[in-house]
Amino acid sequence: MSVTAVVFSTIFNMDLKTYAIFLFAGMIPFSYFSTSVVQSGQSFIQNESLLKKIYVPKLLFPLGVSVALLIDSLLTFVALFLIVVVIGGKISFALIFVPFAYLLLFLFTFGVALVMSVSTVYSRDLQHIVGILMQALLFLSPVFYKPDALQGKVAWLISLNPLTQFIDLFRTPIYSGEFPSLTTVLISMALAATSVFVGLWFFAKHENKVAFRL
Amino acid sequence: MKVIVEDVSLKFRLYHEGSASAKEYFANLLRRQKNKAFSDFWALKNVSLSIGEGERVGIIGRNGAGKSTLLKTVCRVYEPTYGRIVANGRIAPLLEIGAGFHPEFTGRENIYFNGTILGYNKRLLREIESEVIAFAELEEFIDTPVKYYSTGMYMRLAFSLATTVHPDILVLDELFAGGDSEFVKRGKERMYRMIDRASVMILVSHDQSLLRSLCKRFIWLDHGKIIADGDVDVLNRYCAG
Repeated sequence: MSVTAVVFSTIFNMDLKTYAIFLFAGMIPFSYFSTSVVQSGQSFIQNESLLKKIYVPKLLFPLGVSVALLIDSLLTFVALFLIVVVIGGKISFALIFVPFAYLLLFLFTFGVALVMSVSTVYSRDLQHIVGILMQALLFLSPVFYKPDALQGKVAWLISLNPLTQFIDLFRTPIYSGEFPSLTTVLISMALAATSVFVGLWFFAKHENKVAFRL
Repeated sequence: MKVIVEDVSLKFRLYHEGSASAKEYFANLLRRQKNKAFSDFWALKNVSLSIGEGERVGIIGRNGAGKSTLLKTVCRVYEPTYGRIVANGRIAPLLEIGAGFHPEFTGRENIYFNGTILGYNKRLLREIESEVIAFAELEEFIDTPVKYYSTGMYMRLAFSLATTVHPDILVLDELFAGGDSEFVKRGKERMYRMIDRASVMILVSHDQSLLRSLCKRFIWLDHGKIIADGDVDVLNRYCAG
């Protein structure tokens, strides 16, 4: 991450310290989303021997992955936050919003992870495809740049990307020291709710077929 | 009744071209001649039975008759396509060899891991830990990851854990494969004791003498259907061909 910070701060002609904080605030939600979705995709396949021999509530596997990575992400947040403090970032009252941002991000990610966990059992090459898609998504999400930096014909991609909203939820309190706008919060809440409901519905519909396909 | 199987049918889908993948799916869209990707196969057809307290049931039949599938359905690993299954009580399944151990965990860790899945709490597991290890005779290897275990060691640990605390329903599939005669003897003794405590046992085996010594009731399956259900006479008929 420090290499990325050095390279991009030079390209964008920004102060390294400021850019490092900017990057970190965008990287945290993105990498949580991406690793959770990819790892949930493998959760059933890796526990194949268990699922075929004993009854275990299947929701535990993607849930376990999502929660474990959430704890991981929180620890990373604390560690990086200490670095931010040392290099002199803004510490504002708005930081109390971060736990709520995490909650919304978790719900949104968990819904997608549920769909991924079941789908990968059906077509196993999906995990490779998703790995590549995540790479593309990284550059289409405002992680390295500001959302309004991508102008012209491709700008709509940024505005349609749900992660744009979640990155904003993190970046506004950490980088700008302000509370995110109500619009962003409401859109994120709607996205998170939709994702969780669709994910749980999809999961409930297909979980009984998983054991046959492993 | 401890276990009730009500008109259960189970459909398997056989895929002709290995495991389906997204790649195959897209390739198929372009292919002019489409061949059917799968066919259906009924592993169980309208199976009904009920097992009461203290019954010791042996399930017999040729390879592919649906014996293991029936056990897996009772243990809720497979969801029946039609019909329903009711099991009252804690089930301890020993399906195939091993009982759902995590290969990377050591034997001791697996006692806690598998025990928790079986529904035992941590305090109980701590109490029985040494007894489980002693019965499995694995004192020397208990802190080795189970992926390095031999078939016999794996089975001994699984059996020992499943039977140290008396489960209400014990489900065994080809149980003693890989166990030496000394362990089989001790295992049988333990099973006799368990039966006295009125737990249900369902056993799939091809070992006639084991079946005769442990079971009172026999269910003969063939092509997913029950051919006969009754006392030792069923076993005799099955063996006679």
